[in-house]
Amino acid sequence: MTMTPLSRRGAVVALAAGMLAPGVALGRVARNGAAEQFVLSEGQQALAVVTNRGLAPAARDAAFRALIDRLADFQRISGFVLGKYARVITPAQRQRFNAVFKGYAQRLFQTHLTGFKGNQLQITGSVVRGPTDTVVNTLVTGDPKAGPLPVAWRVLGEPGAFKAVDVQTRGVWLAITLQQDFVSTIDNAGGNVDALIARLEADGARRG
Amino acid sequence: MLVGGAVVLASGLVLATPGVSRSGDPDSLTLAGAPAGREDPLRGFNRRSFAFNNVLDRVLIGPVARGYRRVVPAPVRRGLGNVVSNLREPATVVNAVLQGRPKVAGRATARFVGNSTVGLLGLFDVAGRSGLERQPADFGQTLGRYGVKPGPYIYLPVIGPTTVRDGVGSIVTLLGDPVSQATGGPGTDFATGRSVVRGLEARSEGDATLKAVMDESTDPYATIRSAYLQNRAALVREATGVEEALPEFDAPAPDEAPAPAAPPTDPASAQP
Repeated sequence: MTMTPLSRRGAVVALAAGMLAPGVALGRVARNGAAEQFVLSEGQQALAVVTNRGLAPAARDAAFRALIDRLADFQRISGFVLGKYARVITPAQRQRFNAVFKGYAQRLFQTHLTGFKGNQLQITGSVVRGPTDTVVNTLVTGDPKAGPLPVAWRVLGEPGAFKAVDVQTRGVWLAITLQQDFVSTIDNAGGNVDALIARLEADGARRG
Repeated sequence: MLVGGAVVLASGLVLATPGVSRSGDPDSLTLAGAPAGREDPLRGFNRRSFAFNNVLDRVLIGPVARGYRRVVPAPVRRGLGNVVSNLREPATVVNAVLQGRPKVAGRATARFVGNSTVGLLGLFDVAGRSGLERQPADFGQTLGRYGVKPGPYIYLPVIGPTTVRDGVGSIVTLLGDPVSQATGGPGTDFATGRSVVRGLEARSEGDATLKAVMDESTDPYATIRSAYLQNRAALVREATGVEEALPEFDAPAPDEAPAPAAPPTDPASAQP
């Protein structure tokens, strides 16, 4: 006997229904609808741009950079990723770092979002961590070859002035990882922040 | 075995899944902000192993994985990957039960039964298409569920990143895997073939991610360490349900004072 895809699906659902223990969703009461809406709107647009194969790469990069400035707070992220070295960086070093970091972070964020391989964002909830600190949980879908990918967005600020400062997939936060990368690079150079800045400048020059 | 090494070289970003806490999370020290010395006391050895694995990956494992991707048609690769994933479901059931997570155990059981029958011995992930996404569980996660701390981060030659807890967990998972037990143990041709396919699949699927990490990170070793530890902490949080502890974004890192500028002294710390 051959089974159609539909009957296969039905069989699996029936098996699942019989075997799954009744679960109670442990939903959080506190949600931040405004932050969720911010992520849905801005994140969706960013995903749509990075997955738009109809755009030439240069046009796609330019469109993404215009959007990402609305979504992400690069000023805050640039302070965070320096970790303990944010306390000792000189104003001149800070100026050079900020100038080179933004382009680096934009490229990284774009690569990250492209890796999601989906173009649809669906909100699954949010966790209010503080009056101006919310983690918005989403699912990225739209790639028929991949299942839905859970993605969390850390949003700081208040309604009307929200900005994302970090994004998480598979348990891994991008800015937290970047902080460990940068701090380790400076540690390896004996605490010399200029070594990191020079590295980022060289990277930026190499990529044009 | 070599292929397995390739898998874990990329595992921090490729094989990972999510969730620490304001209190009671055994993995909380592995999150960002912890000084490298505290979470990575073996970093001299680890960095040398990392450099070794990079060479191994460049000359052998990477080319083999890319060749596999070129030669084997995508549907065949996907089918083989599904079969291998399906064979891990019984171990997930055991660990989910040990962790007291009946829903996860039920899901894995349903997936295994459905995919092994309707899905033609696991070739087709019909359960996933029906909404029953895979949610793996392993013995390292089970140990974490009961409060065992990860211990030092270890980067092993060929094997890749792990911690003391997860290394022990991997050995127990390997020896106690129900499918492995039912097919003669971990030393059989079947077990070897299974490991090779799993490794090839994971390494070839993770090729772009690994390239991005090696190309974009200023210290790929630190990036992979961070990603691996965060991923494992997230898996433990999935089992404990403990809330994730995140660093304050605007507060300075609470670690020890930065080192004064001086020439680097650890030759192994140089980027490979």
